[in-house]
Amino acid sequence: MNHLETFLFWSTLSFEITLCGFVFTRKVQRILPLFATYTYVVLAGAIGILLTYEYFGFYSPTAYYAYWGTILLNAAARSLAIVELCRYGLRAYRGIWALVWRVLAALSVLLLIHAATDAWGQPNKVAIYGATLDRDLALASIVILAVLFLIRKYYGLAFEPLQRAIAAGICFICAVDVIGNTILRNILTGYLFSYFSINQKALWAALSPQFERVRDTWSTIHLFSFMVSMGIWCYALRKPLPAPSESPVLLPAEVYRELSPAINMRLTTFNDRLVELLKP
Amino acid sequence: MMNDLGIAVLLAIALSGVLLWLLIPRHKSSRNTLASFHPDAINAFPAAKHYGYFPQIRQALSVADSRYLIENAPSQVAKQALRERRAVARRFLKGLHEDFSNLARLGRIIAALSPEVSREQETERLILSLKFQILYTLVWLRLSTGNLPLQQLEHLTGLVGRLAKRMDEAMAEVSALSAGSLPKGISA
Repeated sequence: MNHLETFLFWSTLSFEITLCGFVFTRKVQRILPLFATYTYVVLAGAIGILLTYEYFGFYSPTAYYAYWGTILLNAAARSLAIVELCRYGLRAYRGIWALVWRVLAALSVLLLIHAATDAWGQPNKVAIYGATLDRDLALASIVILAVLFLIRKYYGLAFEPLQRAIAAGICFICAVDVIGNTILRNILTGYLFSYFSINQKALWAALSPQFERVRDTWSTIHLFSFMVSMGIWCYALRKPLPAPSESPVLLPAEVYRELSPAINMRLTTFNDRLVELLKP
Repeated sequence: MMNDLGIAVLLAIALSGVLLWLLIPRHKSSRNTLASFHPDAINAFPAAKHYGYFPQIRQALSVADSRYLIENAPSQVAKQALRERRAVARRFLKGLHEDFSNLARLGRIIAALSPEVSREQETERLILSLKFQILYTLVWLRLSTGNLPLQQLEHLTGLVGRLAKRMDEAMAEVSALSAGSLPKGISA
């Protein structure tokens, strides 16, 4: 690791410890257990990576596999935290939730299938496979969060500040991951592809410094984005959390059954008149 | 041809932009959330407030008025008056947009507070709202370029008048049904 990477690694670890401290003291696990688990997984992953570097060396194959393993483990824990964000607050609105969870589930399945097929088509190399899968999972996370926010905004169901900050942090990490992993994958499947080919063994020594430089650069960007997101989460958790909001008392079902068709009918009339206005 | 990288970068930037835009809290929109909604608000819901100006609008847009202006006023004055009438018509159209938005919002609030929601109804309302946005833009453009006879807008004034009456009835109904069942402040 170079000086910048070492600095970023220790800074990120400090942020992760601070964040886990906040999560624990604010009792976030009571309202958002999967997000709390995600922060613990991130911290455990960072400590695991640190120990791997310490015992096996930074450029060892074990460290290489451990790095990509941790990245994918983090992505999986992040996806569960997103599922929790989708569920949080919306479940109390039974009608909307019954409609929305199907939309979000269908979208998630589609995006996961896309991620799996995209990764499946890649050469069987950990870095290429990992970069593809991580990129597609990050893209899926952004799409799911965007759809969730649009739905909530459409129905006037605002997010609480903590949930909003968590979503913003996840979104930032994912956006950087999508861009970074796409660049990384293009480089690895492009001019550095010989580095993974048994037939091109003669080139390995020449390509090794370039491969390490690419890996270091990506690692630096990834750590930096992580630090920014953790900064957002720490800031959101700096004060004690407000008491959870009360569940809404819903209207009788007949109100919707009677009024909704009537409202739609009136809206249709509006449109019909506007169409009439446009007729020559 | 745009490669894989370009598409991914653009998509990530666009999606992040949309998300950030949605994440930034705005005072104006927060006023419209369910967090501030309670039964009393139903009565005060701005149903079709532009209805109150319809007699004046009708008069201003009437064919007879236009003809009188063209026949009796100097041409410059008549042109100026017609221009101003178009501006009034545009403002009226904006009011209609507001009325439509309020009605659609009422529909969404009722859906959010309902234990059962119909997928067909919700999809229909979403499509209607999108359609209205497109039609509104087209009408506004035609009105601005002078390609839309003002008197055609008179039909809409009648529509909104009837709408206001039915909205009042609907809101009274919701208010009666929800009396005592909703807390004073519903949290989203």
